[in-house]
Amino acid sequence: MPARRILSIFLLAFGLVALSRVGLARAADSGSDAAELKEIRSEMRQLREERKRDREVIHSLEIKVQQLETKDSRVETTTEQLHATDQKLKETTLELQQTNAQVQTLQTKVDAPIASPEFGEAVNRYLGSHSFTIAGAAGGSFIYDQQSGALDGVSHVSQNSFFFDWEPMFLYRPTDWIMFEGVISTAFGSTGTGVDLSTADFQIFLNDYMTVVAGLFDQPFGDWYENQSPMWVNRFVTAPLPFGVEPVVPPGEIGVQLRGGMQFGALGQDFDYTVWGGNGPNFSSNVLGAALSSPTAVANSQTNGKSIGARFRIYPLPVDSQMGRLELGASTYNGKWANGNWYNSWGVDFNYFIGNLQARGEWMESYRQMPDGMGSDNRQGWYVQAGYFLNDLNVPCFPNKLNGYLHRFEPLVRYSGVNQRAVASDDIEAATGVGQGGFQAGLVPDFGINGSPATYAPHAREVALALDYWIAPSIVWQNEFDLELPQNGGAFVSPSGAVTPAGPIPNDRAFLSQFTIGF
Amino acid sequence: MKKIFAAIVLATLTIGFVGAPASAQENLSPAEHKRLFREGAQLWPVYCNTCHNARPGSEKAPYEWDLIIMHMRTLGNLPAGDTRALVEYLKAR
Repeated sequence: MPARRILSIFLLAFGLVALSRVGLARAADSGSDAAELKEIRSEMRQLREERKRDREVIHSLEIKVQQLETKDSRVETTTEQLHATDQKLKETTLELQQTNAQVQTLQTKVDAPIASPEFGEAVNRYLGSHSFTIAGAAGGSFIYDQQSGALDGVSHVSQNSFFFDWEPMFLYRPTDWIMFEGVISTAFGSTGTGVDLSTADFQIFLNDYMTVVAGLFDQPFGDWYENQSPMWVNRFVTAPLPFGVEPVVPPGEIGVQLRGGMQFGALGQDFDYTVWGGNGPNFSSNVLGAALSSPTAVANSQTNGKSIGARFRIYPLPVDSQMGRLELGASTYNGKWANGNWYNSWGVDFNYFIGNLQARGEWMESYRQMPDGMGSDNRQGWYVQAGYFLNDLNVPCFPNKLNGYLHRFEPLVRYSGVNQRAVASDDIEAATGVGQGGFQAGLVPDFGINGSPATYAPHAREVALALDYWIAPSIVWQNEFDLELPQNGGAFVSPSGAVTPAGPIPNDRAFLSQFTIGF
Repeated sequence: MKKIFAAIVLATLTIGFVGAPASAQENLSPAEHKRLFREGAQLWPVYCNTCHNARPGSEKAPYEWDLIIMHMRTLGNLPAGDTRALVEYLKAR
């Protein structure tokens, strides 16, 4: 151990000597070293400051980088969203293209003409070659008749009743040149429920100018029976007097017609004809003023021959003239009754229609040769009527809706009359109804008949005022007010032939309201 | 009796050989269809309104118009050409 201590001491001494030597050397150079040290320190400070600035710059750059990274992230998100939107747009565009293609396909199909042979065949297979449909009309009415007076020997009391009538028309077409047509009139009228075969006939279209009609048909005399009598076509609830309870011409006939029409000038300038023959006229009795009761059954002893009739009508105004449509017609119907006595009738008619105005009228006269040397049974009848649709009437202070209702109204007026030498009293008796308890109810209304005693007068006159409300072209609510203005004169004839002067006939008033649908 | 028999035979032959389509529109060119349609549109409000309100074509099926126009051709004695125009118009609605 003493050796170790000696060595340690030696080394310590050596070290102290060395240090002192270095210290002496340095002390010699201390002047220049201080300057260098100062410079070094200055450089170090500068370096520290630069480093500090660099750190600051780095920090700011780091912040900027972070900001940029954040922005980049946002951009990426936006880009992704844009991509998604773009994808959706592409999908939507594709769907639109598909939809457009479908629409174009459909449009092409719509625009393309129907392959009529194929379509026609398909429809024909479904419907069959024989076609059938039902048209016609139905109507319900309320009729009030004042009956302030009556005819001699007939009780009178004011009447008010509801009625209903349904007239289906069956149309059957086995080929395109043959058709069958039948109309059945079913009504709940003054005598309760009744069914009547109005018309039933075949129509054979021979060519463009000739049609054969064979069967039971409306009398093609004038315009009324054929064209104006359907309840939804007639602008009034009642018929004009010459076609009412005292007809001048038989309302129907059973026989054969040949008829047709042709254009003689411009479009709308037409001419038509109807010629026919049938079983002939018939009357309820042989007395003066007996009612016409046709068509005549073959077995009836009151007829002795067939009838022949003709009607011609002309429409002189071209459609392009914008002057409306005018019809001028003339008719005749002749035949024999009661073992060879003649019945002759003739008449003229007109119809003018332009815009909202329609006017029509007929005049007719008949001659009935009487048996046993009696004076002839002459009759005359006429009517003239006019109506005006309020389509174009706009009341400034009315709201549009109210004006719309106003446009559906059609006011009308009609004047009609009959002249005849006499009226058979048993015909009047036959028209009376029996009330509850068996009491005679007097003359009663019926569907389309106001029941006024004044309409049975030998010289009946009537002014009818009407206001129609058109719900649709063939659906109408009709309201009619009748003023009966019979003239004095004429006579009533009993079944035995006794003649009684008619004397003064009381005036009368009636109101009728009817709802009608044509189908 | 012989006259009646002869008349019946004549009528039968006439009907058998002369029967003409009343309202058929078959075998017409498109131009002919258009011409008929235009004429029908002109005639419809005039002819129909002469007696009753003109009814729109949509009220009935086309096959029903064939029947109704046949009925109206007879009732109104309408010229055959005008009838074809009317049915063309009414069927087109």
